[in-house]
Amino acid sequence: MSFHKVPRRSALLVMALALAVPNLGAAQDDPKMGGTLKISHSTRIATLNVLSLSGPAEYPVIDMAYSGLTRIGPDSQPMPDLAESWEGSADATEFTFHLREGVTFHDGTPATASDVVATYEAILNPDIPASAASVLNMIDTVEAVDDLTVKFSLKTPFADFPTSTAHANARIMSEEALAGDHAMLDTVVNGTGPFKMESYDSARITRLVRNDDYFIEGKPYLDAVEMHLFPDLAAETTNFLSGDIDVMLLVQQADYERISSAPGVNALRVPSGRYVNVVMRFDQEPFNDLRVREALAYAIDRQLLVDLVLEGLGRPAHDNILSPEFKFRIDTPEKNYDPERAKALLAEAGHPDGLKLDLVASNRPAIRAQVAIAIKQMALPAGFDINVETMPHDTYLANVWRKGGFYMAYWGMQPTEDATFNLLLTSNASYEDTGWMNDEFDALVQACRSTTIESERADAYTKAQELMLAELPYIIAFYEDVLTASREHVQGYTLNPINRYFYLESVWLDE
Amino acid sequence: MPKAFRTATGTTGLGLLLLVMGAATLGPLLAPYDPQAFHPAARLQGPSAAHWLGTDQFGRDLLSRLLNGAPSTVYFGLGATLLGVGAGSMIGVIAGTAGGWLDSVIMRILDGLLAVPELLFTLLIVTFLGGGMGQAMLAVAIAFTPGMARIARSSVLSIRTREYVLAAVARGERSHYIVLREVLPNAVGPIIVEATIRVAFAIMIGATLGFLGLGAQPPSTEWGLMVAEARQFMFRNAWTVAVPGVAIAMAAMGFNLFGDALRDSLDPRRSR
Repeated sequence: MSFHKVPRRSALLVMALALAVPNLGAAQDDPKMGGTLKISHSTRIATLNVLSLSGPAEYPVIDMAYSGLTRIGPDSQPMPDLAESWEGSADATEFTFHLREGVTFHDGTPATASDVVATYEAILNPDIPASAASVLNMIDTVEAVDDLTVKFSLKTPFADFPTSTAHANARIMSEEALAGDHAMLDTVVNGTGPFKMESYDSARITRLVRNDDYFIEGKPYLDAVEMHLFPDLAAETTNFLSGDIDVMLLVQQADYERISSAPGVNALRVPSGRYVNVVMRFDQEPFNDLRVREALAYAIDRQLLVDLVLEGLGRPAHDNILSPEFKFRIDTPEKNYDPERAKALLAEAGHPDGLKLDLVASNRPAIRAQVAIAIKQMALPAGFDINVETMPHDTYLANVWRKGGFYMAYWGMQPTEDATFNLLLTSNASYEDTGWMNDEFDALVQACRSTTIESERADAYTKAQELMLAELPYIIAFYEDVLTASREHVQGYTLNPINRYFYLESVWLDE
Repeated sequence: MPKAFRTATGTTGLGLLLLVMGAATLGPLLAPYDPQAFHPAARLQGPSAAHWLGTDQFGRDLLSRLLNGAPSTVYFGLGATLLGVGAGSMIGVIAGTAGGWLDSVIMRILDGLLAVPELLFTLLIVTFLGGGMGQAMLAVAIAFTPGMARIARSSVLSIRTREYVLAAVARGERSHYIVLREVLPNAVGPIIVEATIRVAFAIMIGATLGFLGLGAQPPSTEWGLMVAEARQFMFRNAWTVAVPGVAIAMAAMGFNLFGDALRDSLDPRRSR
């Protein structure tokens, strides 16, 4: 066998390290002040509008420049950010956040409760495109009790609310900026985060410098952070390996082995709930028949897919949209590759001679087409004759996404069960794309919002997952690890599996 | 065989051309494996008895993919050139025969288009037409048209004043007869030579577009796309990039050398 796999023991060690690194304060050396951290990335920083941005290289910039009410820590739990503490009412319908005192925006104006209110009103305004809206739509009212206290009243109880306020697209902006022209938000940054924007060039380098007034004493350690754009992946890797760049934001699976074995490099592999899903519309032939969806599910060799497409850097999944990182995730029955069973299911569904199908995959990222091509081959013996149609990403977004009957989607991990289900699977989910529209499922997800009793929530989330696995709205064959790398002198760099929080205020250079 | 093909470059050109055309015609039939079949136990391997040219990241047989991709790569070049030569020759012959203000207007427009480098022009057209094999072929054809028109026109101009053409005019032949029967057959030599050399460029532009994701799309086995897909893995198995890369170079070189030899053999000063 010439399978290329990272030895399991070293993989475990890397994972263990990833979990250990958050305790950076406890490292033997005291952090050194100063220096410029250079980060490379391969996708453009197209906008800096916190409300709507979604680019992989845009998140680290707003994570540096802005603060949320709360933030997701490396342990995936909500931690204080602009709010130093919070409390919820016993029935989880009212939450009060206490803001830090004396915090100022980068332009010197104080950050107060009215800025928080303005930000949340913008997110909830149906006329403003805001990615966090579907996750925060349980908010009924938000009010400033005094300058440093904000009270949220919810339409329904929601125990995970402090996690939802950590949404990466719910960072606090100034009331003044939000009252002005929203087109300015694309390029003008005025946050309360550890770094201030110095220069922004979406085609080349974006540079942020230390915010001397950051609310955590002594942080950040770095003088500046530069984001360098490399549209060419090979050039990005070469620059990183030659030592010109300190951190490579995202490492491709094909390069991981080479980068992790290079001298002077710390490669970081964080198991994540990121996945490529096969979308099959419930209101179109032939996937309106559960047996056809099941047939395809049994026609995929999930471990082989992990080995071939992810170079072993991921875990096989069995159609549960929740990865093992989620608290209420149930043990999911494994679906082993069984072309015979798939064939029988197809015959039962009225396709004894197999099925001819067109599967659409956007060309970005390349992994979509790779998974599609692999599925085409694996499903062949089961009687699926799949024609893979790849197309430019823009064409896909305009013509296929949320319209097509059979295509490849690609999603990052969400912070909660609720956010995951309300992103895609409930009837009024932000990006509902299957036409599943299951009232029972909706009610179960809603029920979890409405109770704070742990056992009741576990029960409802279990039923919701069982229903999802029975009805099979998506085929999810694997969870992809998040891969990144830094030079050895970079201390305290870590990633959260959600890949939206980067903790760069805790990074320092040991030079 | 004409003398020009008996030189080293002529023989090499002819040999490569026969090889490439043979692969384009019979390639898919000769492929030892299904070009899309996975061999997971043999991924990213170098040449072996089982896989003569090695395997790619899915363990797909590179020789089979190469042979399978030959038609789309080579016929793309031929098709694009044929379209471009057809359109260009027509425009050139019209301009050259008509003369006067029509000639001036056509040629000034073409001069403007000629100022844009061909690859850039192609990319521009693909941006308008969208990606895909058909669009890419049309784009290359359009990019080739101005250059071909210019060559066709100068051929026509040099022939228009020959005695046999003047004789036809004196006989009172109609102008379409003069163009089709007297001018075109005698102007066709330089056009064919230019066209042959252009096939080489068309193949390379097609491969470039495939590489950039604007031409053929996965899981096609078009050679430029093969290079693009393999690029990520070239540090692990250089064969994945080298095999389609060398094939593209061989095809382009074959047409180029053949075109050179063809030109020499048609050149009255050299061939005797």
